[in-house]
Amino acid sequence: MMKIALLIKQVPDTRTVRMDEKTGTVVRDGNEAIVNPLDLYALKAALDLKAAQPGTTVTAISMGPPNAEKALKEALALGADDALLICDRAAAGSDTKATATILTAALNASGPFDLVLTGERATDGDTGQVGPEIAAAAGFGLITFANSVTATAGGIEVERKTENEVERWKVELPALVSVTKAVGEVGLPTLKGKMVARRRVVPVKNTTELGLAPGNIGLEGSPTRVVRIFRPSITRNGIKLQIFDEASLESAVDVLASFVKGEEKA
Amino acid sequence: MTAQYSIVTPEIVARLEEICGKNFVIFRDEERLEPYSHDEIPGKHYRHMPEVVVRPQSTEEVSAILKLANAEHIAVTPRGAGSGLSGGAVPVYGGIVIATDRMNKILELDKENMMVVVQPGVIANDINEFLRPHGLLYAGYPMSMETCYIGGNVAENAGGGKAVKYGVTARYVLGLEVVLPNGEILEVGGKLLKDVTGYNLLPLFTGSEGTLGFFTKIILKVIPRPKYQFDLLVLFKDSRSAINAVPATMTESGITPTSIEYMDAASFQSACRYLNETLPYQEAGAMLLVSVDGNDPEQMMDELEVLGGFLEKHGAFMVYVADNPANSERIWKIRRSVAESFSLYFARQSGEDVVVPPACIADVVEEFQRLAERYGVIIPCYGHAGDGNLHSRVSAPDSWSDERWEQTLPLVLQELYELVAKRGGRISGEHGIGCKRLKYMPSVVSKTFLDVLRSIKKALDPNNIMNPGKVFES
Repeated sequence: MMKIALLIKQVPDTRTVRMDEKTGTVVRDGNEAIVNPLDLYALKAALDLKAAQPGTTVTAISMGPPNAEKALKEALALGADDALLICDRAAAGSDTKATATILTAALNASGPFDLVLTGERATDGDTGQVGPEIAAAAGFGLITFANSVTATAGGIEVERKTENEVERWKVELPALVSVTKAVGEVGLPTLKGKMVARRRVVPVKNTTELGLAPGNIGLEGSPTRVVRIFRPSITRNGIKLQIFDEASLESAVDVLASFVKGEEKA
Repeated sequence: MTAQYSIVTPEIVARLEEICGKNFVIFRDEERLEPYSHDEIPGKHYRHMPEVVVRPQSTEEVSAILKLANAEHIAVTPRGAGSGLSGGAVPVYGGIVIATDRMNKILELDKENMMVVVQPGVIANDINEFLRPHGLLYAGYPMSMETCYIGGNVAENAGGGKAVKYGVTARYVLGLEVVLPNGEILEVGGKLLKDVTGYNLLPLFTGSEGTLGFFTKIILKVIPRPKYQFDLLVLFKDSRSAINAVPATMTESGITPTSIEYMDAASFQSACRYLNETLPYQEAGAMLLVSVDGNDPEQMMDELEVLGGFLEKHGAFMVYVADNPANSERIWKIRRSVAESFSLYFARQSGEDVVVPPACIADVVEEFQRLAERYGVIIPCYGHAGDGNLHSRVSAPDSWSDERWEQTLPLVLQELYELVAKRGGRISGEHGIGCKRLKYMPSVVSKTFLDVLRSIKKALDPNNIMNPGKVFES
């Protein structure tokens, strides 16, 4: 019987996301936020552990704007027992370290937890740092990129695949585990689950309630500075051959022939 | 097929090249002509090589081609993307195939009138991608929207997954520029929402399967695009309870869904296996996919709760909800993959498209299963249950020889179509008759009906050059 915390994040839908060419930032207007797809594997791992050990509870925790409640309600609809939203303007601009500071405080406030599960990274920031930083801050054991998590008498057993081998770890609790796609897909929410989640009130806490000082969070508490975000330019300089008559066909053949001979640097 | 047509001589080809330009005429090039010899019906039956393919770019070019073909008595087959399922674009008499791929421009968005004017070779989905930033929708598109051309949609009066709420292509066609078989150019309809000036020819040309003329310009009605679509994937123990729930939902729930799609056990099992879908579908005997759309997510969730509750009352044992694009895609993918997965698991099959009064779908599906048992074939059923349009795929067991299949299929189809006709149904709801179902027409429609079709055809195409060998024997 475990008390599991599940960390989830809302991210822009990568299928429809657009970038502002000038500022290099994500255009958030009109883009629907979704649950970070990689976090859904963590939810799957949590729900499997819950199903295997009756009495195990799953609490979904997210830090984000008020509409991140939607992600938490999705977790509730899929089978999480409780949810907590950390929502505070003071947290805006937090880097991975400041985010880990806030989430560690959230875990302490609603815990203690035996196991914290996360996705391997979020599809927007793409760092995969927050989980390990929380483990360090909270003093938890850490396993990243787990392919499976099973409960044992004394803790959990975790399998992770490396380039050459499969590692199997016996892990003492408390621990933080980030999981991969290999864990499996979470199901779809049922209508009953949705109806219950829709009527639940998700508790919201701010950073003051978590006892955090402004200097440790937000931009001020973030040692990382984003200097510039840009699209890498593609270095292949191709030429376009348009064929519309005999003459253009001939010249195109000439260009291709010289390219094959190595005369033309395409 | 007794009609005699002139063959396409190098002289005719030279004149076609004068009309369209040398680069846009394909002649005596087997490899490049082959793609124009078939549509998407699997197998080799409904294939025939064209003698020549022309790819005109303007109404005038199409008119000149048809004038030439009419004068020389050469069969002409119009072709869109070739994504059809009735052999409509197959040049069964050889002759000239007129491809629409170069007439692919969206000519005008008339926002004030809520209309869009397009050429026939525009991909249906491209119209919607073009309309999306304007918050508009062309709602008549079929399931094959990512490949099919609008010209083919109009020719077949295509329907789709949203026909329950939005209707089929014809509802959105307000005007057509048609090149008649003699090369004359006819304007039908226009940017008008009402028009009773003379006979209403629009619905005659829409769905005429390329036998009455060639569309060169299409005026379509557009509507405000709903912001959201939510879906329910509903599991039933057996197909009867699932199908019985469909008319009940339509008439009693008080909500008009955008789609009600049905899949029997063979259909969703095949698709789920193909997709490695991990949802626990093993206990289900049938599934419904029910969608609603709108702009207010809260109200839509209310509607889903009512619909879901209603379906549970009618025997559903599990109702899944998709209220975001990722989950929505996950469940629609099951429905969209049925045909593809069947093609993978059954080498020999015939995709059918019957339509019956929605209230008798359950009986028809059961009769199909009895028919299947009698002949030893498999007839999985799926499709647009909400509007009575069932896609059933008559499939042969692996153990059958080709010969046995060839002998049995016509017998099964004859009985299947007769059974549908007895219920007041028709043999095609949205795919068309084409050359595939032509021989079955006399047994499912009256002689008087066929005589009227022939009279219309004769009036517009006395030389029978436009897409001959389609819809009915002339």
